[in-house]
Amino acid sequence: MTAYLSGIGWVTGAGFGWGREGGDCVLSDLPLPALTRKDVFPEPNQRFGRMSNYAKLGLAAIAFALRDAGLETWSSKRPIGVIASTRLGCLATDLEYHQTVLLQGGGLASPNLFAYTLANCFLGDAAIQFGLTGSAVAINETGEDNLGALRMALEELDLREADTMLTGICDLPVPDAFADSMKFMPGAVFLVLTVIPPTAPVGYGMVSLGDDGRLLHNGVATDSLIELVHNSLTNRRR
Amino acid sequence: MREVCISAANTVTGLGPDLDSLWRGAMAGESAIRPLNRFATGRYLSGVASWIEGLEAKNGCSGIYPLLEQLLDGFGPVPKDAALITASTKGCVDVMEQLQSGLAGDPAEVPLGQLLQRIAARFGLNSQGININAACASSTIAVARGAALIAAGRSEAVLVVCLDLVSEFVFSGFSALQALSPVACRPFDRNRSGLSLGEGGAALLLMSRERARREGRPVLGIVAGWGAANDATHITAPARDGCGLIQSVQQAMARAAVSPEQIAAVSAHGTATLYNDQMELTAFRTLFGERRLPVHSIKGAIGHTLGAAGGIEVALGLKCLAAGSLPPTIGLLEAEEAGEGFVSSSVQPIEGSCLLSTNSGFGGVNAALILRQGDK
Repeated sequence: MTAYLSGIGWVTGAGFGWGREGGDCVLSDLPLPALTRKDVFPEPNQRFGRMSNYAKLGLAAIAFALRDAGLETWSSKRPIGVIASTRLGCLATDLEYHQTVLLQGGGLASPNLFAYTLANCFLGDAAIQFGLTGSAVAINETGEDNLGALRMALEELDLREADTMLTGICDLPVPDAFADSMKFMPGAVFLVLTVIPPTAPVGYGMVSLGDDGRLLHNGVATDSLIELVHNSLTNRRR
Repeated sequence: MREVCISAANTVTGLGPDLDSLWRGAMAGESAIRPLNRFATGRYLSGVASWIEGLEAKNGCSGIYPLLEQLLDGFGPVPKDAALITASTKGCVDVMEQLQSGLAGDPAEVPLGQLLQRIAARFGLNSQGININAACASSTIAVARGAALIAAGRSEAVLVVCLDLVSEFVFSGFSALQALSPVACRPFDRNRSGLSLGEGGAALLLMSRERARREGRPVLGIVAGWGAANDATHITAPARDGCGLIQSVQQAMARAAVSPEQIAAVSAHGTATLYNDQMELTAFRTLFGERRLPVHSIKGAIGHTLGAAGGIEVALGLKCLAAGSLPPTIGLLEAEEAGEGFVSSSVQPIEGSCLLSTNSGFGGVNAALILRQGDK
């Protein structure tokens, strides 16, 4: 299966952006930027301010990736699917919500926070914001390469479940109470993969899945999502 | 595309420790929804759930693991080359609760990767596996994903394991959302007042027809079609017109190459919330027109088991197809007007070989599977 890589967007400790805008995507253990609505959307957006930090992070990277691919604006809903890989999902929101449960025997539990205690909920926000009607799932994987969701997205394209897929990673920093048991760089990085030849002026080449399960970028094996993104941005065509 | 068979299935639910006990209880009209004593419920809208004895977190260890052991004991061998897919929305949420309350617990157990590692190690699987989190459609999508892998020739066997617990975390949240019924839930009833939570799990072994034949495995049923779609409308409420569910079912029917007339019965999500049940009935009317076909929900018997719901309903669906009967919708007294002629408080016959199984969830998720009767 081969697909065009037509958009890249990211939010990391080193900053946020999208491919066509220039810059590089570097995962870092620096604090993630505190995103405001204006950083992400040029127009007013009533929902953004009420979202959890996890949802804001993921939604912003998806917005940037779609912008990069020329797919941010829409007039009718589109069958674009999303697969997001996450290690901790919405654990930070879970902890915040649970604090409200501990008060007064649960009588003050926050319904708004609870709505964001599922790892896939930000994909629902993305679906609403961008009119995406394909399958939208979050996955947890144990591999270190962050390529599980990308593999799955390519397989979905191969099966013609969708013509265009968003795929990537999304994680907030590890909460302090869990810091001793897990370590990784936080951030969100999303890619747009499509079987439709892109019309955007930027192309990042082709991504394919070899028979042995290895990920290939322009025919060359790639070992991690970040390596794939770095090579794509280095070789971007204007 | 290769045919996708289900060659082994088990469940653990409030109605019992295996699929036979679920089937017997459901057909007999039993409900496992009863007063809950795992945590204080005085400040919540409800004090009932379908729960399983012995799944309380103990000494910092999650109740998910005893549930897993019950589910996999006697499940039979799983090929080492089987891909692993789990479906759980909150996994070891009880450990997180313990840690938050200052009690013992291992933080490393909280991420869902631990569950994958435990199952992979138990069967010596080569696959590291993935966990699917798509809210209450998690296991439906896990089965769809497993079927897709086999159909495309990327795997010959896939183990799907679906699990979720009744926790105060989730209970309080649904209560805060005003979604819990104060009494045992009443799916598709015109006086329904919300959902009842449940806990449980399902394990399903999917195989290509050729692999099942080679290994001498039974074919309990066929996963003939699958579909998933987002209705892109609201985070916690379904689209009133059922657009996402309709799209999912249409995808599943197209993949299975069946027409609406060939769908003989429906295992609906049927949570007993006002909006979910209304949305599903609207979707079924759109899909099936004036044709009346038997529809049921298992939630009145075992509660809403969240990420495990779809997997449990697939396992039960295999039994339904084998027996040619759909269990009663427990809790149903007077059908919602749009559900008249579809849902029943009695056992309904299934006249045909295709069962549609549907689930929907937060985040606008909808998913559908079409199961065909297995070999007799």
